[in-house]
Amino acid sequence: MMLQEGGLDIGTMVLHHTADAWQIDLYPAGTIHLPRWPDIHLGPLTLNLSPTKHVVYMILAAALVFLSMWLAGRALRRQRAGERAPKGFAAAMEGLVLFVRNDIAIANIGPETGARYAPFVMTLFFFILYANLLGLVPWGASPTGNLAVTGALAVLTFLAVEIGGMLQLGAKGYFRTIFPHIPGLHGPGAAVMSIGMAPIEVLGKLVKPFALAVRLFGNMTAGHFVILSLFGIIFLFGELQFWNYGIGIATAALVLGIMLLELIVAFLQAYVFALLSAVFIGLMQHEH
Amino acid sequence: MTTVLFALVAAAEETHGPASPFEVESGLFIWTWVVFIALFLLLKKFAWPAILRATEEREQAIRRQLDEAQKLHAEARAALEEQTRLLGESRTTAQALVADARAVAERERGAAVEKTREEQEALLQRARREIAAERDRAVQEIRREAVDLSLAAATKLVGRRLDAATDRELVEQFIASMEKGK
Repeated sequence: MMLQEGGLDIGTMVLHHTADAWQIDLYPAGTIHLPRWPDIHLGPLTLNLSPTKHVVYMILAAALVFLSMWLAGRALRRQRAGERAPKGFAAAMEGLVLFVRNDIAIANIGPETGARYAPFVMTLFFFILYANLLGLVPWGASPTGNLAVTGALAVLTFLAVEIGGMLQLGAKGYFRTIFPHIPGLHGPGAAVMSIGMAPIEVLGKLVKPFALAVRLFGNMTAGHFVILSLFGIIFLFGELQFWNYGIGIATAALVLGIMLLELIVAFLQAYVFALLSAVFIGLMQHEH
Repeated sequence: MTTVLFALVAAAEETHGPASPFEVESGLFIWTWVVFIALFLLLKKFAWPAILRATEEREQAIRRQLDEAQKLHAEARAALEEQTRLLGESRTTAQALVADARAVAERERGAAVEKTREEQEALLQRARREIAAERDRAVQEIRREAVDLSLAAATKLVGRRLDAATDRELVEQFIASMEKGK
């Protein structure tokens, strides 16, 4: 096979480019080697808090979110002070923020407590959106294409759902979400069924954030896989006489199409994560 | 071109780091939480209020107006109920008053009629008594006159004066016997 002959393993290359790294390649400007800190041992846990490529891009995404929102807020304040209607970038951001607040958060959590959880859902949406989009710019990488990042975000959603549920339902109400009251059953039968249902209820609570984490990770990583694999075609068939330019142009066109698709996916997955988080919070708030 | 990429890939293989995106690094959890929570707090403090201020103010104004409208509606309803209740009450009162007045008038009229009848009765009685007295007196008079006449006639017949008390008694006894014989 050609890839063995050329010493180029497309699969390894794809995995390498989508994996986290201890350095940032900024070809042709060079490579930034990130510092490696020693492991921290917390009982059975071993943590390494060294910054990685995804950490750097995550901080970049957060900084960009903050910068754009802060600038939009400042522009809006200035435009309103001048009695002018919001316009341009600030108006677009206001529209997007209001969409997330009203149609994702409050619409799914409920009008009573929706406004309280809206900042969490809005932060989730924009952080994930910017992180997704960072994977599409040159030299960029998607922190959301990392299971640890999506897992950590899902854990935050899990905590918001469960702690929000405890605050809203009280100790007894929250207890009922694990040991449910089975309608129509009384006495020892109801107790047995409640205890029997408990593992299923707990599993249900854990499956939701797990699905969130895997969905976002899978979507972002799969997109990068497709783009990198299509680029791989160039290296597989680039040596062919007379066909090389044709293959290059066709591949570039295909990649462009997938890139556009990825642009949609970046928005869609941010929307899905925020929407489902809001839905889960809302479900818990109205559990009776 | 190809050589450059080969060089890149080779360089990538030399560096350390996870070999695939499926390897999970625990440190990244901590980083994600720190970055996300910092972003959450910063946005909450510096960005969202400015962006959402107008909307929240509008929402609050609408909520306030809705509350106001609801309060006014409730007040209007209460006022209407009060009004209806008062109306009903006054109607009942008026009816009671009219009925009272009618009863009082009825009683008054009855009393007046009764009094008139009693007065009439009394008058009638007195008239009767007077008539009876007059009649008795007249009868007495007639009787005395009759005695006198009889005596006069008898005097004429007997040719002597009969006015002794015994004669008079005689005539009177006669008349009394006649009256008895009637």
